[in-house]
Amino acid sequence: MRVLVVVLSLTIYAAGCAQKAPPQSPQPVPPATPEASGTSKTAPAKPATTATSQTEDKDKSAPQAAKPATPATAKPAIPATASTKPAESAPPTKPVASAPAAKPPASSTTAKPAPAPAKPAPSTATAKPAPPAATKPAAPAPTATAKPPVATKPAAPSNPTLDLTELKDQLKSTKAIGLMTKLTLKNQVDDLLDGFRDHYAGKGKSSISQLRQSYDMLMMKVLSLLQDKDQKLASDIVASREVIWGLLADPKKFAALDV
Amino acid sequence: MNRRIRTFAYSLLFAGVLATPSFAQQQDEAALKKDLTAVIALQGLPCGQVVAVAEKAESDYAVSCKDGNLYRVYLNSAGRVVVEKRK
Repeated sequence: MRVLVVVLSLTIYAAGCAQKAPPQSPQPVPPATPEASGTSKTAPAKPATTATSQTEDKDKSAPQAAKPATPATAKPAIPATASTKPAESAPPTKPVASAPAAKPPASSTTAKPAPAPAKPAPSTATAKPAPPAATKPAAPAPTATAKPPVATKPAAPSNPTLDLTELKDQLKSTKAIGLMTKLTLKNQVDDLLDGFRDHYAGKGKSSISQLRQSYDMLMMKVLSLLQDKDQKLASDIVASREVIWGLLADPKKFAALDV
Repeated sequence: MNRRIRTFAYSLLFAGVLATPSFAQQQDEAALKKDLTAVIALQGLPCGQVVAVAEKAESDYAVSCKDGNLYRVYLNSAGRVVVEKRK
């Protein structure tokens, strides 16, 4: 009987510790809690409870969200795109990008020669191998994601294989990105689209090369957020990166986007 | 002996039931911190890592960063996520 009582008490104690553990750890971090409570009205009680000791997860997660991850993704991703979808992306990019920046087109053009052999292999996760073979121009659609989600509707018809709607849905539903982060990204996409709108209207302060830089940065942000937890979506976005740029950089196509 | 074992099993079950909610809560909080860390990073503001979050209202958070920076992250009426530095 005594043993029983001891076991029970130990169990309850253990359970109690599990809930109280968080508050204990935050105490050693005085700067955060006191300041937070001082600023906010309701904060006093909450910070204590919320200021848990989830440092382990964050230590790992934080860096991911930040910069270290970004560079890694970007570089490997780009080459992948070129190799996989050379034929597809090449046609659309050429006409569009020729005017603005030579960077992206250059990469795609270099990949051209390889296209022929690459075609069969690519067979990207998204079911698009068949269409590309039939028509090169249609192929550019590997998969578009990231920003144009807004521009989905109009783009779909012009590029049969470019399933912007699906990518938009995938971005919305992915669990790799939190809600607030998604909203932030959407804001930044909207800002970029406004930049394009102003540019084509003649009001824009930024040149097409600056817009391209902003576009690349935004892509990097999205990819850095996705690369670890939703690699498929990340690769889809990488694959459609140039195609999306083609839509944005062409005033006519951009106007048709209705964003 | 059987009785003791049974009691022990019950106590374990009881402890598990008590521990589950707190674990889930910790998971949610970790996800929120990660989310807010990403938001602040996307805005190009220094933070490093969010170590404490206080929810002031719906979609309105008081955030403490590992590097000592304090921010208020909220969704304004225009639907934009705003990150304000606090002192």
